[in-house]
Amino acid sequence: MIVCMKIILTRPQYEITTKYLSCWAGEILILAKKRGVEVLDLAKNKARKDELVGRIKKLQPDIVFLNGHGDDDCIAGHDDEILIKLGDNHKILGGIITYGLSCNAGKKLGPAVIKESQTSFIGYVDKFIFVCDNDYIAKPLQDPKAKPFMESSNQVMVSLIKGNSAKKASLRSKEKFKENYLKFLSNQNDPDSLQVAQFLWWNMRHQVCLESKDKK
Amino acid sequence: MKKDKENKRILSDEEIRKLVTARLSVLSPDTMISFGSDGTFSRDELVKKVEKGDDVGEKLAEIQLEWLRSFKDDSLYENYPN
Repeated sequence: MIVCMKIILTRPQYEITTKYLSCWAGEILILAKKRGVEVLDLAKNKARKDELVGRIKKLQPDIVFLNGHGDDDCIAGHDDEILIKLGDNHKILGGIITYGLSCNAGKKLGPAVIKESQTSFIGYVDKFIFVCDNDYIAKPLQDPKAKPFMESSNQVMVSLIKGNSAKKASLRSKEKFKENYLKFLSNQNDPDSLQVAQFLWWNMRHQVCLESKDKK
Repeated sequence: MKKDKENKRILSDEEIRKLVTARLSVLSPDTMISFGSDGTFSRDELVKKVEKGDDVGEKLAEIQLEWLRSFKDDSLYENYPN
């Protein structure tokens, strides 16, 4: 019997950063649906704590993809409402592969989450920084400056949806960051290129894949 | 004064600030940088932050230093290897 992969996404959207993350996570939503994955999209004001916790319990997803602001011990949803917090409800991510596309959550939240059995957490141990263009703020998917960042970070989800392990998904993402980094590092025509390269390098360097001891 | 791993002084705070503002000042005027929950800032706003030495300015200086150091340490790609 073929068991369908199940994913829950949170996509808060209330200012520039969350708008970009949300729009680009929408591309993952499209890809997942194309591949027959069962996806639950908690977008905008559905990206709330009660909604997420209830849906995780009910759906028992294989993957949770959290987009939004974060700190060492938490990841937020719409209007900065804390969705997952260390010591409050982090154990709910036990047995799941979580990708937190947010700042810092790989520092304390991730290590706490993977104390649960058969659990993986991919995230960032410092700021997730990206470049964008003021002229494209209303249409993030067309923003050429944001593309290398979003493409590289989304590679985690692309790889997971293809059935790869969390470790391999993170590796693929880092390879994409590296590819884009080298491209911008050697670009002599774009005045932004060196700064873009530096931030791509920063994100690549601070992405972590953490796994529980019993995870194979 | 920022120090490297061997505790040697390599660049003064003022030198780092100059380096970071020089890098930022060549950015296109329409370029914005998202710094997570700190906000999204234009080139000119970032230059002011570096000059002022606030949290975002300090983070930019840290990134600049770590990036330079990574060439020396041969750790360009992996800080937290999987």
